[in-house]
Amino acid sequence: MTSQSYKLDFSQVLRREPVMLAVLTLAAALSFLFVTGLSRMFHAQQDALAERWSTRGRSDLGAGRYASAVPEFRAALLYSRDDFDFRLGLAQALMGLNRDDEAYTYLINLWGRRPENGVVNVELARIAAQRGQTDQALRYYHNAIYANWPAGQDSEAREARFELVDYLLQIHASTQAQSELISLAAYIGDDPSQQVRLGDLFLRIQDNEHALAAYRRSLSASPHEAAALAGAGTAAYDLGRYAVAEHYLQEAVSLRPGDYISNDRLKIARLVLQMDPFRPQIRVATRNRNVMAAFAAAGAQLKACPVAATYAATGISGQDLAAQWAKLMPQITEGGLRRDPDLVNTSMDLVFTIERQAREWCGTPTATDSALLLIAKLHEGN
Amino acid sequence: MDSLNAPNASSNVVQDIAAIKPASLAGLTPGSILHSVFREERFFLVLSVFIGVFSGLAVVCFRFAIDWSRIYLLGSGAELSTVRLLLAPSLAGLAIAILTIHVFPTARGSGVNQTKAALYIFDGYIPFKTAIGKFIAASVAIGAGHSLGPEDPSLQIGATLASAIGRRMKLSRDRMRLLAPIGAAAGLAAAFNAPISAVLFVIEEVIGRWTAGILGSVVLSAVSSVVVMRSFLGSESLFRIPPVELRRPSELIAYAILGIIGGFASIAFSSGISALRPRCRNMPQWTQYFQPAVAGLLIGVIAMLGAPQVMGAGYEYMDEAMHGQFTWQFLAILAALKIIATLLSFVSGTPGGMFAPTLFIGAMLGAAVGGAEHALLPHFQYTAGTYALVGMGVLFAGFLRAPMTSVFMVLEVSGNYTIIVPVIVANTFAYVISRALQPTPIFDMLSRQDGLDLPSMEELREEDVLHVEDALQPPPGPVLEADDPLDRAILAFEGSMASCLMVRLPGAAWACLTRERAQMLAQEGMGSHALGTLLGEEQVPYVHPDQPLDTVLRYVNRWPVVPVVNRANVRKLEGVISERDVLDRYRDLGA
Repeated sequence: MTSQSYKLDFSQVLRREPVMLAVLTLAAALSFLFVTGLSRMFHAQQDALAERWSTRGRSDLGAGRYASAVPEFRAALLYSRDDFDFRLGLAQALMGLNRDDEAYTYLINLWGRRPENGVVNVELARIAAQRGQTDQALRYYHNAIYANWPAGQDSEAREARFELVDYLLQIHASTQAQSELISLAAYIGDDPSQQVRLGDLFLRIQDNEHALAAYRRSLSASPHEAAALAGAGTAAYDLGRYAVAEHYLQEAVSLRPGDYISNDRLKIARLVLQMDPFRPQIRVATRNRNVMAAFAAAGAQLKACPVAATYAATGISGQDLAAQWAKLMPQITEGGLRRDPDLVNTSMDLVFTIERQAREWCGTPTATDSALLLIAKLHEGN
Repeated sequence: MDSLNAPNASSNVVQDIAAIKPASLAGLTPGSILHSVFREERFFLVLSVFIGVFSGLAVVCFRFAIDWSRIYLLGSGAELSTVRLLLAPSLAGLAIAILTIHVFPTARGSGVNQTKAALYIFDGYIPFKTAIGKFIAASVAIGAGHSLGPEDPSLQIGATLASAIGRRMKLSRDRMRLLAPIGAAAGLAAAFNAPISAVLFVIEEVIGRWTAGILGSVVLSAVSSVVVMRSFLGSESLFRIPPVELRRPSELIAYAILGIIGGFASIAFSSGISALRPRCRNMPQWTQYFQPAVAGLLIGVIAMLGAPQVMGAGYEYMDEAMHGQFTWQFLAILAALKIIATLLSFVSGTPGGMFAPTLFIGAMLGAAVGGAEHALLPHFQYTAGTYALVGMGVLFAGFLRAPMTSVFMVLEVSGNYTIIVPVIVANTFAYVISRALQPTPIFDMLSRQDGLDLPSMEELREEDVLHVEDALQPPPGPVLEADDPLDRAILAFEGSMASCLMVRLPGAAWACLTRERAQMLAQEGMGSHALGTLLGEEQVPYVHPDQPLDTVLRYVNRWPVVPVVNRANVRKLEGVISERDVLDRYRDLGA
């Protein structure tokens, strides 16, 4: 067989359809293998680049270098376009740069993909809160609270609720804030610092009873926590439990001598305990001394705040306070009070009236005056 | 275009075979011919799948090459250094010019017209070197930041691979011609991850008409290439599609305005190409070496001045525009700058496609117009994604002048049927404005600038097609039945001037009895014989009134008249048609 005839025969064989198909199949298989190799190389490089840029982005985001983090996350997204975490990182970096509108578009898309994601909901809630979209903000905060948080990020749900309470307090929705705090109390555990935080928030909404309970729970785990002691002292003080307040505040001040607020409260609490003539089981002599001291303090207050003295209390014969005080003054003696126990009430009513008027007209009272006001409040209605 | 009807023709042949027994097919049984025809069809379909597979693989490699070029030329970060911004596109332009002038001269341009030229001029032949040149030059150009896209080169790469496979298989000329569009559809489908749009575009812009014979192959190759591409690159769309909605019918006004603005933008874009391309080509030869480099440098300057989004295909920025990442003012600037950047790249002869830039301009323009409308009329519902998507369709309809593809492309990409009404409204405005102000579509204009007289698909779509009913004549005499004796036919001939009478045979068959034949049979003493027995072997193929007139030309050389029968009842004769009738009708049309 000559080479030419061999060539002819071979080409005829090749033209037979099954042979052609076999050759094409083989070529396709080989091409597939080749492209698979290339594809692995390509994807490995893309993954590496995505990882490299996202690591840089995360690092800059963590360090608050948002301007650097934005292009880094954008670069990471070039290689892994749909990566949820990269997009979230980019959105967070944009929020850090106050580019909330841009961040919002990323977040709303991420929300579309994973509406149950806690971080996305929190970020969306923050944007809505900043935009004054209260309903949206509350919806996203609640989504975040009940969202699926990854293992190890349980505290994030708690943080979301804390943030929600903060937001509710900002918009003066104290009742809602209180319900959130009560729910939060059930989940917060024994972490002393979290209990202190909870107590502080209860204090802000003036739920002193819950606040005191939270501080006490914190103190049971960490008895020498100055913030918890100060908070418990404040809560007890606001509840009118001055003996308890004195106890906590004294410890708080001993741990943090620079805590002037607690120190002032401690002084007042002590004065209340000391000056209250209506304290149960008080000796008559002590009571009378307290009444005399209070009466004297009221007189001093009248001198310091003459405007208050001109006030004519309707209850006492149309005279002004100075006249009333002057009229009673001669009777407020050890003997006078012993002879006429009703004078205690009469004189203390006048003292309380003078103190209230003086506070109204002349502002910030002294510690003694504050104590008298608190005593007045303590025995209101009695 | 006759060759494109070859499969149709073969199916008609099968129909003929069933009806008649021509002398020319003597020796071959209908069964063997049918077997041969169907076997060839089947093999061609299988071949289409292989073309799709190879095209898909090639497009995957092309995408890798573009990304690698970008990483190594422009850097892997999102923020590019000034040096790279200026140097990468300029130096790449210089290298591309040398390659296209000395090594791959056929790799210039987008690739769509070259594929059409292969179909209409070169019998489906595209040198394999073209694919290599296109692959290298386009990937470097796009990767280096030239404002061009990968779709048209992918289309040409697919067509070239198909042509190469066809040559290796030593296919007939007709089959070879069909292969180029099949490969083109596969390449485009893989590049765009949208098989339906690819099929439609190839039919609308490359082939120019629907032909059943090729449709199956085109669809198979497009689908197989997309499957291959998705197995390597995933099934994600080129952009993430945001929720699309149309809340009130009155919003259609806003989309109509977008269509009008898009129409004018298309005119600006195509007029720029029309004016600048010939001037660049007519410049001295030595400037050809520097034109892509200068274009690259200018694009680098645009990027350096704050719009790096105009570099490359820009899909990631279309994605961002759809998700409202830019203000409408910046979107409008980007649309204008992209037109300039694409003009620079394209007219300088840099290889690369115009699909992606068209979509980019459309997306930016759409979102910008939507944003501006919303700013002026805040009660108008505005979602950037919807306007960007509609904008893409608008530019596709206005600039590429592929109206059907533009609608389906948006539908396929968005996967949302709600958008169809705004798309149709906006695209119609853009298409009408573009046609009115720029009568020659962009691809036709480019082919004419290249000195090629390729058929205009838009003209083809709109040309008057004559049908059989336009030329049919009443039967020349009475219609005879198979039972009638020959004598009756003789009597009928005596009473009329007809040269041929139609005879209704049993079943769905017809015969034509000529005056001469009738006289000859009568002389042989067969006057009492039934016409059915005399003419049973001489059946005439029939046609229907709605068939194209040129169908008749296949039969009139063998039979003096061809019966035209009703589709609902083939035994009912609507008329007859002869060669003269056909030619007279065509002559009247030409006059």
